[in-house]
Amino acid sequence: MSAIIQGLLVGIVFGVVLQRSRLCFNSAIRDVKFSHDNYLMKMALVGILIETIGFQAAAQFGWIKLSPIAFIPAAQIVGGFFFGMGMVLAGGCASGITYRIGEGYVTALVAAVFFGVTAAAVRGGALSFVNKWFGTAITTTNNPGGVYSANNGAVNLTIASWLNINPWIIAIISAVILLAVILFTKTTERKVSGLNWVWGGVAVGVIGIIGYLSQKTYALGITGGWINLLRATTGSLDPTKPVPYNWIGMLVFGIIIGSFIAALLSKEFKLRLPKDPKTFAKVALGGIFMGFGAGVAGGCNIGHILSGLPHLAISSIVATIFFVLGNWFMYWWLFERQRSKRS
Amino acid sequence: MASKVDYTLDERGEVCPIPDVETRRKVKEMKSGETLEVLIDYALSKERIPVSVKAAGGEVLSIEESGPSEWKITIKKL
Repeated sequence: MSAIIQGLLVGIVFGVVLQRSRLCFNSAIRDVKFSHDNYLMKMALVGILIETIGFQAAAQFGWIKLSPIAFIPAAQIVGGFFFGMGMVLAGGCASGITYRIGEGYVTALVAAVFFGVTAAAVRGGALSFVNKWFGTAITTTNNPGGVYSANNGAVNLTIASWLNINPWIIAIISAVILLAVILFTKTTERKVSGLNWVWGGVAVGVIGIIGYLSQKTYALGITGGWINLLRATTGSLDPTKPVPYNWIGMLVFGIIIGSFIAALLSKEFKLRLPKDPKTFAKVALGGIFMGFGAGVAGGCNIGHILSGLPHLAISSIVATIFFVLGNWFMYWWLFERQRSKRS
Repeated sequence: MASKVDYTLDERGEVCPIPDVETRRKVKEMKSGETLEVLIDYALSKERIPVSVKAAGGEVLSIEESGPSEWKITIKKL
């Protein structure tokens, strides 16, 4: 089966699962702090736990080489904070706005297009120059167990490659901590009509592992997919050098199709338009922040949180911290600050 | 009297998390015994608004399906 068909199929299944589980990292991060609601966060943690063990096992069997995202401290700090702010403005994380297109959210489509165009501009387009502001990647020559992919001997930093210890030790410690958090915290009650947090998390984790085995170079991602979809669709000015669709571009396309099918079957599809047209400007700005942030940081909430944390990549740990801080800051700025001023 | 509500919020089409934030804000402002109906069109809102209403000191009286992917949540301030 060709790579693009595989990407499309993984995307369709991922889209169905996202729609039925309603997993949105923007909501997950916000709810923990502002609603004291850990439902979606625990779903994400189940997925990360399964991938932590699954990625390591797949690399151990020699099926894949682990490819953590490059650690560029300033890029993950600044880009991460912008992405975190952007997802609050846009009304969803990168995967959230993608699957909500399939549910009929017009604002999600607006946010996603601005996200994709800005990310494409940062990664090799008109905004490429911004990458120079953030410096170059910090790498190591350690490759414990030989499980990491190396570029001229340079390996991206994970906790294990940085400390040069067996990656299984770090993966198992991380998995035990995650398991303890999952088992020993009280899950907020929520009456759901789709997949509950356990099954949603298991499904997302398994799809992540299948994604890695299928794409080989990395697990799931959204940012690169939007960039490829836009570039391949608009084409290059020189018709002899077309830009082909790739695995991850088809993944994103598949998510929209899968979510659309799931929403139709569960009678949750509806064209949804905001009453206040200013909302369009707000989500477009959110998309631009997200595109800039994910562009420079090397990934979005799927690339860094869902796929990156299971690698215990330093880049993804730093990016995740700043996604969270950016999200909390913007939520406070938009919704909490006004209220405390009024009362 | 039973079907009369004190306030109505139409949150259809609004972007996440506006329906949740505005509902919570309204419930906090309301006086004890007052009722509020919230119109929503997103399943995630239907699942999370009851959680935040409880935290804001309210009680969900009913959730009715009012159309295709549309619901009416009736809330009472405790």
